[in-house]
Parts: sequence; structure tokens; C-alpha cells
Amino acid sequence: MKTLRFHYHMELSFSEPVHSHVYTLKCLPVTGAAQRIETCAYQISPAGRVREGRDSFGNRMLYGTVEEEHSLFTVDVNGTAVTDITAPCEEQERADCSVYRYQTSLTRPGERIRALFADCRGRAADLSFRDKMRVYTEAVHESLRYEKGVTDINTAAEDALALGRGVCQDYSHILLSLCREERTPARYVVGMLMGEGESHAWVEVYDGGRWLGFDPTNNVAVEDGHIKISHGRDYRDCSINRGVFTGQARQRQSILVEVTET
Amino acid sequence: MEIELTRRAETVNELLARYGVKFGIYKNNEFKEQLFPFDTIPRIIKKEEFAYLEKGLKQRVMALNCFIRDIYGDRKIISDKVVPEEFVYISSGYLAPCAGVVPPKGIYTHIAGIDLVQGKDGSWYVLEDNLRVPSGASYPMIAREICRKSSPDTFETYHVEDNRDYAKLLRWTMDYVNTGGHTVILTPGRYNAAYFEHSYFAEKTGAHLATGKELTVEDDYLYFVDYSGRREKVGAVYRRISDEYLDPMTFNEESVIGIPHIYDVYRKGHVALLNAPGNGVADDKGIYYFVPKMIRYYLGEEPILQNAPTYLPYYEEDMRYVLEHFDDLVLKDVAEAGGYGVVFADRMTAQQKEDFIALLKREPRRFIAQEVIDFKDIDIVENARRVPRKADLRAFVLMVDEPLVWKSGLTRFSRDPDSFIVNSSQGGGFKDTWVLSQ
Amino acid sequence: MGIISVENMDRLFWLGRYSERVYTSARLFADSFDRMIDMDMDDYAVFCSRLDIPNIYSSREDFCARYIADEDDPNSIYSNLMRAYDNAIVLRNEIGSEPITYIQLSVYDMKRSKVMRAPLVGLQKVEDNILAFWGIVDDMIESENIRNIIKTGKRIERLDLYGRLQMNRESIVREVHRLAGRIARTNLHYDEQNLKELKKLAEEEQIDYDRIVTLADTLRRD
Repeated sequence: MKTLRFHYHMELSFSEPVHSHVYTLKCLPVTGAAQRIETCAYQISPAGRVREGRDSFGNRMLYGTVEEEHSLFTVDVNGTAVTDITAPCEEQERADCSVYRYQTSLTRPGERIRALFADCRGRAADLSFRDKMRVYTEAVHESLRYEKGVTDINTAAEDALALGRGVCQDYSHILLSLCREERTPARYVVGMLMGEGESHAWVEVYDGGRWLGFDPTNNVAVEDGHIKISHGRDYRDCSINRGVFTGQARQRQSILVEVTET
Repeated sequence: MEIELTRRAETVNELLARYGVKFGIYKNNEFKEQLFPFDTIPRIIKKEEFAYLEKGLKQRVMALNCFIRDIYGDRKIISDKVVPEEFVYISSGYLAPCAGVVPPKGIYTHIAGIDLVQGKDGSWYVLEDNLRVPSGASYPMIAREICRKSSPDTFETYHVEDNRDYAKLLRWTMDYVNTGGHTVILTPGRYNAAYFEHSYFAEKTGAHLATGKELTVEDDYLYFVDYSGRREKVGAVYRRISDEYLDPMTFNEESVIGIPHIYDVYRKGHVALLNAPGNGVADDKGIYYFVPKMIRYYLGEEPILQNAPTYLPYYEEDMRYVLEHFDDLVLKDVAEAGGYGVVFADRMTAQQKEDFIALLKREPRRFIAQEVIDFKDIDIVENARRVPRKADLRAFVLMVDEPLVWKSGLTRFSRDPDSFIVNSSQGGGFKDTWVLSQ
Repeated sequence: MGIISVENMDRLFWLGRYSERVYTSARLFADSFDRMIDMDMDDYAVFCSRLDIPNIYSSREDFCARYIADEDDPNSIYSNLMRAYDNAIVLRNEIGSEPITYIQLSVYDMKRSKVMRAPLVGLQKVEDNILAFWGIVDDMIESENIRNIIKTGKRIERLDLYGRLQMNRESIVREVHRLAGRIARTNLHYDEQNLKELKKLAEEEQIDYDRIVTLADTLRRD
């Protein structure tokens, strides 16, 4: 158990001023079975009128419209989280796990994933659930080389595996695909890691009583260094920022996360 | 006895052209408007026979509405093992963002289009339940108007239920769930196949026709913005665009015809969307198989209307049957619509058959197989001769505090004598559907 | 229901302009066609220059065929009619099905006149339908604002055409006044200075036709 202070910063810079910018952000961590959010404050600039809501996966949303022209849009979230607690999984969350058993268009396996799955399953045949997941996590970790810029948000798991390179999103999609091949409920998680860097993605699997986190990019089981922001079936359910705006502009997004132990 | 109206075909067609009764079609990426071919010989349904259909249709749509509410709510039908969860979650019509969101008055299936066919023995079968954005009611509605003008004598002789009240039923349906504000018919625009219908309904119901860019969301409410910048609250949207394009902030991010954040307004209960998003889960061809089971499960009644005999290769037993009787069956790809993805096994070459069976074994969940129903043909006039053609009937069921069945329907026929496909996008025509009042 | 979007306001205006353009250019064409029968076979060159459209035609026959009904000639009466149709078809909610039928019938008549040896007979039907359209606009559209927007389009178009054709002063004066009376009754934004100047120009001895055309075309400010 750790108490972590986090600061999340996202900025969108536009090459030309834009207006009528409609946004939905999923950037606020929620208290759940594995973490408790003690404090959490956000600032959006320019914000327009902000509304709060929750999506069907239980993630917190901030959404609104900025009518006026702007070339920069920033979001800051500050707070503290207590991680690696083991509160019992809520009834509702247990009932909702079925939707995570099935492949999505981003995780649907092809030949390569099927082959990887056959191989892992063979090796994990006699292991406990947790150890089996460690085998899967390691197999995914070994099958990709971390490299930015070679895949994008629409790259499917099978294609990333064929390429042999990718980022945390690709690692996670492949692991999801493996779990779902055997109908283990598995969900995509967006969150923050101890230290400084970008936002991160990993996977949670349901062992029949609890959701356990596995981080295939770093080849570790999730313990107290991860703060979860949102979860869903794949990347698309969790995108931190969705937006449409009026204007002929290119946008560049950058994210900076800082997590320190108090 | 010959119906006088059938001798007035020329006048009727002239008037249909005058009123621009058309549908749009894309050929080689180019948008074209075509007149929807009309045949003057009506489909006639006797009063008692329609009363039977009406009962069956009400029952079916009630059960479908219960099913959708259950699937996005407690999922009892899954936990009670009546419908395997796999069929729900893999269906492209299942939309996860709809889970836990209850629409105004709990109504999902505001406007259902149920496709029926009649067998040679006179019995009716349901072929498909269209619960997303079923279209077509405007055609018999305006055709009736024109037929009455062209041949008043016919309607003096026959006692036909007036079907021009569809606009009133539709208005009632929209008002019933309206959360307070204007009523809007949302169209993707004039280059949509059914644009005529969208604009015709708007005119006849007095609702406002709008495209996505004329609507805007502010503080969890939906507004129509007029030219002076004035905002008028909208309480009901009969949207004629599909779920995935409705809101780029929740569904397809690339959509330019939707309204950003309209789904969030809906989620908060501040606007009614007709039909409810997520309905596609119940009009999936795979789910169709389970509708009679749903009727028993939710209503505790025996189904009045029967499905066409259907097999799910997903079940081993059914797969065995399908392989043994392959040549007698029609196979449908559950992901396709509009008459596409339908193959008749007896028309395949040996090679095609072999390939198809391999595909079927690889992806059993993707197909359903049905017995080919021996349709009762309906006569049409072609080159001044009466010739028999395949036809179906799309019945419209509207939901207010209880389901209402429109006393008419869209009868579509295939112009090709060898074809079973009646869709307008594939060259089919339409007829008026008369329900006799005596 | 009294709420009109910016897009539909614009469409109403252009429906008025294009239907007027079809009507007046059909009538002008009729005059020119008559001269071309046996007086001046090259009158079409004058016609083009007066209407300020490029003379892309190789002969009288070519002109008659293409100017009336060629869908690929952007200046043809047919193309202008299709523009009126494209606006009308999306205004069913604002103007109703009945007025649209007259635009629709014009399209059918125009297609028929294309294959006729005596095109004026077909064009006459187009004109009849446009006149019926104007009649039903007056008779059936309840919203005064909608009627006035369509008619403002019509008046601006007519002044524009009359200006290009350098019609006599009486005609110009009459059109300026009709326009001024009409536009004041709409919610359209327009340039009052321009309108004042138009009125002044129409009173002058020597009419500056080019300026009138420019002012008419830039009167609306939306």
C-alpha cells in the first residue's frame, strides 16, 4: 500500500486557432477495488462550460464546448491516491464482467495471435490463474519490441504482433486478445505510473472474484505503483480525449504525468 | 372482380412522379434519385386476418422491447440461460455505451418494421424484425392519397382502413416520450436513400426536419438554433441516422452527420431518441432465432406469429441438420442487411458450396440457415399482363403506452420472376396494403 | 413552427432566385429564338453577351440544344432549374409538398422540351409551372416571413437580370421599389446603404447598370 501524489497534464496545441471545440475527457481516476482516490482536482483551460458524467464502464467524464477561438487547450489534474488496497469487488462490477470476455475489432485474433495463444496455453496448462497470467504477460512482453511511432490508435493487436513493435496500447491489446481467446474477462486500463512520463496502458483480468492488473509492457503484475484512470473493452472506450472542432488546424497532443510517493 | 384502380395505373404513376415519390441510390459512387415503381394491384388483408396479425405483432414488439431493456439492464435472459451471452456481446448491434441507460418511459422500439411473408398455405411468417431505422411507411401513405384521387370509385366500393393516419400515430409516438421541447426529425441530408420519407414525415407530422449541424448541445440539453441565433429546446428526436453516426463523442469518432454530446443529453434523460440507440442487438439475424423464446420468457405467452424455420449452426445439432439439408436452405450472413449476404444453397456451384461449408464451419456464429418458404405469390401488372411475383409485407408497429399497429404496411415485390429479394435498393417495387374495415 | 435554420433561410432565398432565373431567362430565350428562326441566326451571341454568360456555342442549333437543356452547361436553363430543385427538395418542411410539385413538373417538362423540334412549346410549360409555383407560394405558405424571403430572392434576381439586360428605366425603377418593399418585410440582414444607393441610381438620368447589378448581388449580408 502506497500513498501517491499525482499530477496529470495534457495539452492540445493547434497550428491555427480553432473554435466550437467540443470535447469529452476521461482523465479522472476513480476509487475502485484496488485504489482509493483521496483528493482530486482538475483545471481545464479554456474550459467553456464543463459538465460531469459517467460512461457505461463507470469512468468519470468531463465534457463541454469551448466556443471562443483558441490555439491551446490544457487539462491539469492533481490529487492523491492510495494504491494496492484490497477492497472486495463490488457486486455490480462482477455482474458487468461478461462484456469483457469477447474480442473487439482491435483485439480480434488472426493467425499470429492464435499461434501465440496456443503456445502460451500449452506452457501454462498446470499453473494457477495468477501464474498463468504471468506467463501470458511475459509472452506478450517478449513478442514486441517497444518502439514509438510505428503503430497508431487504430492498429489492431494482430497487426502490431505481425510488426513485432509497438507501444503500451499494442502490448495491452495483444494480452487482451489472448485472455479473451479463452473467455477470461479482460479489460483495457489507462492510468499513470510512478515517476515521470506519459500516460500508460495495461490490462486487468478477472479471476472469478477480483480484477488483477498485469502490465505487459513492463512485464510486471500491477501492485502499488500504478494509478488507474479508466477501463473499457479496448483503447477506444478509454481514449483520454475525444474532440471535434471547427478550423483548418492540425493538432498535437502531449501528456505529462508525474507520480511521487508522499 | 377487377378493381377499377388497376385501370388507372397511368394516372397514378403520373401523380407519383409529380409528388416526387423517390428513393436515392448510389451507383458507381454517384447519387441518383429513382422513382419507386408502384403496382396498383393492392395487397388485400381481410379484417379478421389483420386482427390476428395485429395481435401477433403487438406481442412480438412487446417482447423485443423487454429484451432490449433487459440486455442493457439486468440481463436476466442471459443469466437464466435462455439466450447465450455470446450472441449478445458479439452482435454488432450491441452497444456497450447503452448499458445502464434507460430511455424515457423505458421505450426502445418506438417504430418497428416487422417483415412478414405469407406461405402458399396462407400462414404468415416473420422474416426479420427491423428495430433500428426501418423505413418505408411514407410510400403506401402517399400512394393511398394518390390512388384515392385517381380512382374514387374504388374506395367507394371497397371498405379500406384509411392509412393516412400514420402521421398522427407517429406524432403521438414522438410526443409520448418527448421530455419537453420541440420535436425534430434528424436526417443525414438529402443524399440519403430515404430523404423523401424524412421530409414527408416532417411535413405531415409538423415536426422540424434538421440535419446534425442545425442542432447543438449546451449544458446537457439539446437545442435547435435558428438563423437569428435563438435557441429552442428539443425534447424528442426521431433520428434517421444510424447509431454509430449519432454522436462522434461516444460512437464513431469520424462521424460528421451526428451531434456531439447528444448521447450525454440522452443519458441524462433530457431528450428522447427514437428509436433508442442500441436496438440493433434485437434485430440481429442471430438474435431473431430467439424471439419466440423471448415471448415465452418475458410475457409467459405462446408466440402468435411464427418465425420462418431457422437453424443456428452455432448449436451442433443445428449444424448437423444444416449440413444434411444444405441444398434446401437459404443462408444469411448475420452482419448484412438490405437483401445482401443472402444465398440460396441450391443455386451454388459445387465449388461455391464447398467453400461456403468451409466458411460455415470456421465461423458458425456468423450465419443462420432457414427453410425456403414457399411464398404465396402476388400478382403485378407487367406489360399489360398480370404476372405472379414474390412479395413481403413490412408491418409498422409504433409504441406508446402500448404497441399500435398501423392498419396498412409496405408491400414490396421483386420485379424479377426468379428472385426472392424485394428490397428497393435491388430494384424491387411496392404496392399499397389494404386492410379491409368490414 | 416558426424556427428556420441559417441553412434553410439561405435555401429559401436561392429557391426564389433560381426559379426567377429560369422563368425570366426562358422568356428572354423565347424572344431571341424567334429572331433566330429567320431574322438573325447569330442572335445568340448578343444574347450571351447581354446575359454575361460565355458564348461557348458553335451555332444556332448548338445554342438552342445546349442552352435549354444541357445538364453539363452550368449556364443552361436546365442547370438553373436543377439548382431551384435542389433547394426546393430540402424545403418540404418550410414550404410544403404542393409547391414542390410545380418545380418537379418543370423538371419533367424541361426534359421533354429537350427532344422537341419546337422548344418554346416545352419551355412554355416550364414557365406555366413556375407561375403556378409563385401562385401557390402566395396561396399556401402560411408564414409571411418564408414567403417574403423567397420573394426577396426573386426580386433580387429579376433586378440583376434586368440590369444586365439594360432594360428601360421604368422597369428598373419598378423592380427597385418592389425589392425595397419586400426585403424590409423579411428577417434577412441587408445593407441599408446599398439599398439607398440603388434607389438613388434608379432615379438618375443616365442609369449605371453595372453598379445596379453589383449592388443587387451584394445587398444581402448573411
